[in-house]
Amino acid sequence: MEFSFTPEQWMFKEQVIRFARKEIAPRSPDHDLRGEFDFQSFRKLGEFGILGLHFPEALGGSGADVVTTVLAGEALGEAGVDGGLTLAYGAHTFLCADTIFCHGTDLQRERFIPKLASGEWIGCMGMTEPGAGSDVASITTRAEKRGDRYVLNGNKMFITNGPMADVAVVYAKTEKDLKHAGMSAFIVEKGTPGFSAGKNLIKMGVRSSHTSELIFEDCEIPAENLIGQEGVGFFMAMQTVEWDRSALLAPFIGGMTYVLNKCVDYARQRYQFGRPIADFQAIKHKLADIKIFIEAARSLCYRIAWCKDQGRPLNHLEAAVAKLFLGDWSLAPANDAVVLFGGYGYCHEYEVERYFRDSRLAPIGGGTSEIQKRIISKLLQWT
Amino acid sequence: MNFDFDEKELSIATKMRALFSPDSKDFLARGESNELQQTRDSLLQWMERLRQAGYFDLGIEDGKNSVALVATRESLAAVAPSLFLSVEVSTRLFGRLISVYGTSGQKAAFLPSIQEGRLIGAVGLSETGMNIESSLDTLAVPAGPDFRVSGEKGHVVNAPVADWIAVAGKINDRLTFFLLRPEHEGLSIGRRLSTLGYDGVAISPLSLQNCPVSSGSCLGPFEDNEPLRKARCWEDEILTAASLGLMRSALDTASEYAKAHKSGGKPIIAYQEIGFKLAEMLTLFQTAQLLAYRAAWMAEMGDRENEILGHCAKVFCAESAEKITSASMQILGQHGYLRGNPAEEGFRNAKYLQIAGTSAEISRIKIGDGVLERG
Repeated sequence: MEFSFTPEQWMFKEQVIRFARKEIAPRSPDHDLRGEFDFQSFRKLGEFGILGLHFPEALGGSGADVVTTVLAGEALGEAGVDGGLTLAYGAHTFLCADTIFCHGTDLQRERFIPKLASGEWIGCMGMTEPGAGSDVASITTRAEKRGDRYVLNGNKMFITNGPMADVAVVYAKTEKDLKHAGMSAFIVEKGTPGFSAGKNLIKMGVRSSHTSELIFEDCEIPAENLIGQEGVGFFMAMQTVEWDRSALLAPFIGGMTYVLNKCVDYARQRYQFGRPIADFQAIKHKLADIKIFIEAARSLCYRIAWCKDQGRPLNHLEAAVAKLFLGDWSLAPANDAVVLFGGYGYCHEYEVERYFRDSRLAPIGGGTSEIQKRIISKLLQWT
Repeated sequence: MNFDFDEKELSIATKMRALFSPDSKDFLARGESNELQQTRDSLLQWMERLRQAGYFDLGIEDGKNSVALVATRESLAAVAPSLFLSVEVSTRLFGRLISVYGTSGQKAAFLPSIQEGRLIGAVGLSETGMNIESSLDTLAVPAGPDFRVSGEKGHVVNAPVADWIAVAGKINDRLTFFLLRPEHEGLSIGRRLSTLGYDGVAISPLSLQNCPVSSGSCLGPFEDNEPLRKARCWEDEILTAASLGLMRSALDTASEYAKAHKSGGKPIIAYQEIGFKLAEMLTLFQTAQLLAYRAAWMAEMGDRENEILGHCAKVFCAESAEKITSASMQILGQHGYLRGNPAEEGFRNAKYLQIAGTSAEISRIKIGDGVLERG
């Protein structure tokens, strides 16, 4: 067992941090407060190569391995990029583009991946429905084959990037009476008749990412927009879990490092009772707890990434453990950071407040903590 | 990066599994005895078995932690917690002091017996007035060519059963370890202390009153307090691995019980109140395990952050051990409250791990200081 990154990976991480600190992070507070998506920063992520990092060069990517890709996500967080933008990046690259890349035809890859990798197009993924969240197999959106077309009807809910996505990977039932085996995935492009997005939902955190309903009303798409085959949609969605438990979690870890650094600066500068609050044991205690969380979480996340690099099938137990720990155990240190800043920590002006709001998504999005516990307990029961 | 165990790590794990076969259960149980002679006999017998299995091949001479060592320690700590603490203090605390800081003569005299598991060692570090600055009140004054040492030590693991005890003190304000026999003139070993957990570990205070010590029986004097810091670090490594062992044992016990015990016609693991508790326990355990492995790996590599990470691992593992053993006892219900089952035993043992070595509070201060220095 060994836990090192290569010198190239370290160097790349430093590059991403420098780039993001200069080009992206300064714009984060404003976009977060206004709840506006930062198109400029998103395109810059594309120009820098982050949006398509792991795709082959021929498709506009850099051919990076999974660990390096995850490292880039951690670097964005560490540089102070808000959780809204990193979430938008995650949904775009890993939930949308990667599904097309892994399961699509050559034609689909060539048409969509280069534009998604560059950030020219924005992608989203539609799985959750108003009545189907954790229980994904109970989705009711239908895709009915009529000749050389599919007709989609139904609604998707809480879709990150939904309002401005150019491309959506949408899961729908092609066999309504089947559960998992009846699910299929489709590419739906913006402007397709019958396809529309609801209004942007106002959220507690990750506010610079736009979230909305997707509405399909007799939405006709060509049959060649089916990804892979009918009935394997659930399998495709499960494949994205590997990214969800590594690359999408990494910005939370990086973000906690950013918060820790902010706390250190503040604790040194803030004087009470004639000395910096950093001198008080209670403050050191909070700094320690944040640090412990970061170090404990890091290996869980990179273990998933490393296994994916080895070409191993996803270990559902390890994935659920990573998601559960990152989700539930990040709340206390995020809270510690706000408390350490006192009244200032409660104000928008100080970024710990934003991180606190952003981190509240971790136990909810991409499979709630309760679902992770359900997965783990079932696996324990069977072993 | 590689999250798989390498061949060396796997081969040791195989040997350890063979050593702790089901038929060794009764023999292991004797390691939890609180009868002093039985504790000593059992300890020596087990050290012989452990030597044969290669348990002492790692980390004594070089004083280094490693993933292989953590995994090996975890195996022993899971099946025999008291035996584990006693063996580790003897070999990888007392033994390492000799191997890293001893003279060639001292190494020749002590190391073979330590590595063959024939010698029980103890180390007296803690004092009542000791604080984060590590001041020591045990002092040696010159007496002709030799010294006379006086001082008090609080809770010394193995002291009542040890062949040799290394006592930390100072000569002319310089850190020194004095090597003493239990029957040494002026040394009194207090009565065995009754403790909440770790029933099989013999712990007692020491009192030194004008103990005559020759310079040949000293490790040091040293230029600085580095050997004391190192000894604390070794102690913390032992306690971190002890935590992993307790967690594993408590989790296995609870998991087996939850699958076997039925309520309302189905195993209790099928109820979310129980299944979800187990999920949280497993999550804490796997997280603690990876953190401990990474801390060990960083220590082996000499990474500059290894000390802070070591403290992070100690705090997280020790506190997780308390949470997991408590949850395990809860899952076992009234059975868990009965004396002598692994959940109850683990629950009592776990508290020690946050107190002993660098306490959770001092560890957090050190982590906080480290973060403030680097930030």
